[in-house]
Order: sequence, then structure tokens, then C-alpha cells
Amino acid sequence: MCIPLLTQSDSSSLKRRKRGKFDLWISLCLLGIWAAPAQAQNLESGEQLYRTLCARCHGMLGEGGEGPSLKRAQLLHAPDDDSLVSVIVGGIPGTGMPGSRQLRGGDGVDVAAYVRSLGQLPPETMPGDPNAGERIYRNEGNCASCHILDGEGTGIGPELSQVGQRRNLAYLRRALTDPAAEQPRLVDRYRGSLNAFLTVRIVSEYGSFEGMRVNEDAFSVQMRDLAGTIYSFDKADLISYEKALGHSLMPGYAATLSTQQVDDVVSYLMSLR
Amino acid sequence: MRLTTITLVSAILITSPVYSDVPYTALLADENNGADWLSYSGGYKSERFSPLNQITPLNVDQLKVMWAYQMQATGISGAGLQESTPVVAGDVMYLTESPSSVTALDTRTGRMLWHFVPDISNEVLNIGFPRINRGVALLDDKVYVATLDARLFALDANTGAVRWQTTVADNSLGFSLTLAPLALDGKIIVGVSGAEAGVRAFIDAYDADSGEQIWRTYTVPAPGEPGSETWQGDDWQTGGGSTWLTGSFDPELDLLYWTTGNPAPDWNGDLRPGDNLFTCSVLALDPDTGEMRWHFQYTPHDTHDWDANQIPVLVDGEFQGRERKLLALANRNAFYYLLDRETGEYLLGEEYSYQTWAEGIDDSGRPIVIPGSDPTREGNLVWPSLQGATNWFSPSYNPNTEQFFVANRRMGAIYFKADVEYRPGQPFLGGGEQALDGDQASGAVLALDGMTGAQQWEFELQTPPWSGVMATGGGLVFGSSNEGQFFALDASDGSPLWNFNTGAHIRTNPMGFAVDDNQRVAIIGGQTLFVFGLE
Repeated sequence: MCIPLLTQSDSSSLKRRKRGKFDLWISLCLLGIWAAPAQAQNLESGEQLYRTLCARCHGMLGEGGEGPSLKRAQLLHAPDDDSLVSVIVGGIPGTGMPGSRQLRGGDGVDVAAYVRSLGQLPPETMPGDPNAGERIYRNEGNCASCHILDGEGTGIGPELSQVGQRRNLAYLRRALTDPAAEQPRLVDRYRGSLNAFLTVRIVSEYGSFEGMRVNEDAFSVQMRDLAGTIYSFDKADLISYEKALGHSLMPGYAATLSTQQVDDVVSYLMSLR
Repeated sequence: MRLTTITLVSAILITSPVYSDVPYTALLADENNGADWLSYSGGYKSERFSPLNQITPLNVDQLKVMWAYQMQATGISGAGLQESTPVVAGDVMYLTESPSSVTALDTRTGRMLWHFVPDISNEVLNIGFPRINRGVALLDDKVYVATLDARLFALDANTGAVRWQTTVADNSLGFSLTLAPLALDGKIIVGVSGAEAGVRAFIDAYDADSGEQIWRTYTVPAPGEPGSETWQGDDWQTGGGSTWLTGSFDPELDLLYWTTGNPAPDWNGDLRPGDNLFTCSVLALDPDTGEMRWHFQYTPHDTHDWDANQIPVLVDGEFQGRERKLLALANRNAFYYLLDRETGEYLLGEEYSYQTWAEGIDDSGRPIVIPGSDPTREGNLVWPSLQGATNWFSPSYNPNTEQFFVANRRMGAIYFKADVEYRPGQPFLGGGEQALDGDQASGAVLALDGMTGAQQWEFELQTPPWSGVMATGGGLVFGSSNEGQFFALDASDGSPLWNFNTGAHIRTNPMGFAVDDNQRVAIIGGQTLFVFGLE
């Protein structure tokens, strides 16, 4: 089984913008993922500053652009809140991340709090039985043939460890039943949000190939087929090259699993935090 | 035998490298001097054209790295983005390293001769752009570098010692300098960044020997000055109009050409009604007084951050049956323009990249704006993105074939409008921008007919580029990609002939020179300068 990693919905982010500081704080505490802050935070102020200073590269909703997506629980350069404030104020040398040294007082803490909020999902009620879902994942779903979870499986599709931290119920369900509807994304530094598992079809003198794009530049393209074999082609040598933007190599499970089974698998994935 | 070898090596070390003075007369002849590259754009016309013809379509696949130089990562922010174009005088290359350091290298070996690091505070403001620098100016026995904290330094070209320095503007208000200065006869010309902090920008001239300011010309007029009728109230005081890219110069007409950037705040035009002269324009200035002789505004009342800070290329040719002195510019707003550079008369405006904001350009040169293309509070999709159809990185013009080459960004964006109040030294943007789905973005190197703007060919790039191009007398166009390739195209049809993976993103312009009569081309990939040659 293959589960695309889907981006958090825009609508949930828009709702978050209207949410007060207090109830977001409650949500985060319920999740047990928000440590007591050293300084008082003002999320509304942080959001305003974010939109001015950060959105140009990281996206208005934190989904990424020239800079990486911030909609993730763990940030590469900011494992804790103090380091996140340092990154926001001081930048990251050697990258395109500038510091915002004009921030005064607690402004940096406010921005950091808002950035952290982008990477957290509110808890949702599971629609099914996660234990039953795990059994389906390991057996008739055969999900491990394409996904790595807690170190086990094959890495054709995205890794699913802690997927419940990043993806909500609606998207996980759609990923199972209609995987082409919303393709997994990655953030390219120079192009913004991209299809992370783009299906490509290549014909060369060596035959026809179908797989997922691993990398590409103006002169070459690298792809991985469903057997896990990586190929590298010079574009000048290709007979044809197709990017199937609306296609997913992951099979949809709407026809092979019952609604209850889908809910069970979704619940299992939601439990992976 | 061994003694002979040592003697030979010693002789080379003693005689090379040779530092050369760069008199104004040498700058006047820079375009035709293939061995040197004396100024940012390779001459006052800003053609970025190397007349050398040793490297051709037939032998370019034999290019090899002659030497490489790793950046020093000194000064604040360590190894940042590198956007410098090196210059070469005699046997010495001068380049800047971000944020504002200068390095002199032996062109034969790449060995360092000196390295200058200005004392810039880590608290320096850079609002709306990275901590970068694009290069130096050379004049007589000095090297001039403008700094991120808004100072101008004159360095001894032989040692890197400071001859003088002056403060151009107050960095705490958001002023900054990232451009390569332009050296004229006894004068150094600089411009400023800062529109994203709501500065009132200007162009300055300094005495090359003393550092004394000679003139200052503001790009946003004060009440009562020409152009002030295009502003309301006190909007002009925070009006922007940055001048952050090196200009061009016509010694025969004695006119200095300088481009200007967006009005401030960037995306909320409601806060600054009017055309907002002289933002998003090109200005023709008297180089002795700074007096404005004419202006042309490419994008009146800009609301998309489409600076006109692109390189104005001075072109001489037959336009519609008449020999004219022209100014060619591929604008960030996706149109290619020709002006009469003597009078400022608008001659041509051709769309060269996909855009959704204008139906075209009218006979006066004013864009016919499509209603509803301004930013909104909900977000409004417009092509091109705020980074434009091209940007600061340089185009190239081959005067022999009248081809204009430009690196083209193809990306749309959703533009947002928001409220904002001016606070000194703070971002003054009035909105934001969200780039469109990256799968729909790409890039290209385009060849345009310089006299008509018609596209002759394109070479597609994987992503919207951040690097410029250089044509050569050998019939090649050198360019680069974000993915790290430095490549050569056949100038006649755009076919790729050679590429080299530098292993890191390329965000600068190629340049060319010669060592012992052997042609060289140079590019910075990531933190490394690569110099290529055949032998």
C-alpha cells in the first residue's frame, strides 16, 4: 500500500488564523507537544510578523516556497524553541535564510510561537480501530511493500513514521481511496512546492521506463521504478519524456478495502505520532 | 636538471602576477578588450559580451577547469550566497565574497594575493534581500567596494589596504549597498537598496580620490520638484525607488543610465496613489551634476515589486530603417523595451515571457493594465511572480549579430495586500506573495532579436534561474542553472554544447578574460569560483 504524504489543508490553516491565542494553546497542551514557554507569546503578533518577514519565502500558510515548508513537527535547524528564535533573528549562515535582526523585544518569541503552531495538528477523533488498521497495513494492504514505517518496509513511497503528526483524517482517507487527487509535495528551493513523487514515463533506445522522478535538471533526469531501481538518463538521448502530473503510481484502495477497513487503516496512521 | 626547473618556477613567481592600473581610458575601451574584464558588465555599454573567439562550438566540449577558488567565509554570516561578478585587470582578478569582502587572485594560478574584510556589525539590517555583494569597481590604482552596512570603501589595488571610506546612508533605516559601483572619470557612482524598509532612495557620485560626495539625485521627488505631482501627501518620504544595480554610461552623449526599483510599500498601492515617479524607471543623468535629463517609467504605480533594476544595455543599430543609439532592457514585468537613449523616446515594448497583468504597451510606452491584476486581501494570481520574468542577473548582447540573450524566470504568484504602517528600520511591505505550484514553474535562456524583441530560440531550464548569461565572439552563450550546471549554448540556435556540474546552485553572472592569450570563462557555483579554459 502506498500513502502519499499530503499537505495540511488550507482551510484548517485559515481557521487557525481566526482562532484565539487561548484555544490554540489549549489544543497544543492537549497534544502534549508544547513545552511551557520561557516567555509569554502573542500568536497574533507572531502571525503578523510572519506574514511580513517570512511568508515571502516560506509561504503565507507556511507551506514553503523558496524556503522550506514549516508545516512540520520537527524543524531541521530548530530542534527547540530557543534555537528557533535564534534562527529567526540570526538567520542560517550559508543558506538563503536571512536573520531578522530588526525584531525587538519579544517579537522573535512571537514569530517562533506562530511558526511552531504551523507544524502542529489538532487532535481528531479516530473513525475506526487502529489495531485492526495495523493488521490490514501488514497483511492484505501489503503497505510495507512500498513504505517504510519505523525502519521496516521498502522505500518506494513516502516514509510513514509519525505520519499522524503531519496529516489529518480527511487527507489520509483521500490518500488511501484516491491517491491521484492530491499528490505528495516537497519544497524545492527554487520552484516552491513540487510533486514529490511525480510519475515519469521515459522511452530511450534501451526501452520504456515508468517510475517516480528522483531528480532532474536541464540536461538529465533520474527516476526510480517500482522495483526500486534507479536510472539516470541524458535528456538529449531520450526518444520521449512524459511528466504525468495528475497520475499516482499508488493504487487506490476504495475498491479493494471496505469503508470500515479504510477507516481502520486511517486510524492506525493517525496513531503514528 | 632539478636546478633548472626551480629557476624556471622562480622566474614565473617573480614576474607574475602583474598588477595593472586601470585608467579611465582603459574603461572606455573595456568592451573591445577581451583580455581584461574591467567593470561589472564588461564595459560601459553593459553588453556582458566577451569578444574572445578561441573557444568555439567546435572545441567547447574540451573545456576543463584550470583552477578553482574556495570562498573564505569570513566576516558576518560566514559563507552566504555568492552573487559576485569577478573583474580582471592585467594578471589580477578581484571579486567580492558575501557579505562585503574583497579578494584579489592571481589569474594564472588562482592563488590569493590579498583579502579585505570590512568591519560590519552582525546587527546590520538587510530588509528584503540576502546578505550579498555583486562586485567591485576599478579605477586607476584603487578597488571600490560598497558594503551591506551602506558604506563605500576605496582599497589599494595592490595590497587591499583602505585608502578611504565614507558612509553613504544610515543602515539603521534600512539603507544598504550590494551593487558593484560604477567608475567614471574621477567619480564613483553607487545606488542603494532599502525600498522594503520604506527609504527614499537616491544615486550618489563620490570623488574617486577623496571620497567626498559630488552629487546626490533622489529617485522620489520632494514636493514641488518634477514628478512630485505623482505622489500624494507625505507618501514620497517613504516612497522607495531603490537603485541597487549597476548602471551604464555613454561617454559620447555624456549620459549616465541608472534603473530604479519599486515604490514602497510594495504591494499595497492604496497607500501611495499615483504613478509614483521615478520608481520602476530608467533615468538618464548628467554624470557631472546628477541632473536628470530624461526618464522613462516602465511600470507606473507598480504593485507587484517589479523593480526595473535590470541591466540597461546600450545598443547601436538600425531601428525601423534609421541608425539610432538605443537602450535595451528586458524588464522584470515580462516586456522587452527599446528606448532612444539620447532622448528617452519610447520605441518598442514586446512581451518576451508569459504574463497576465497587461494587454500590451501603448504607443507612449505605458502598459495597458488588465483590470483586477493588483494584489488583494484574499490573494490574486498573476504572472510573473514578484521575482519577475527576469531579475538582477545580467543579460548579454552580441553587437555583431544584434542578439539579446536573457535568462528568463517563468513562475506565477498569488499576491496579497495588507495594511502596514511605516516604522523606521522595519519591513514596509503592505502584503505578501505566495509562489504558484512549482510544477508549473520553469526557466529558460532566450535569444531575442535585439531590434524587434522577437524570440529566436529558447533553451529550457528546469527551474527559474538566478544567474545571468554571457555571449562570446566564438559564437557561444554561457549560462547557468540553479541545479549547478555551467553550460555553453550555440548562439545561432540555442543547442546545448557543453555543461559542467559545479555541485551547487549558481546565482551570479559568467565573465571572460585571457591568461597569456588563452581565453578563460569564469563562474561561481556555491562557494567556489571556477575558471575554465582549453589550455
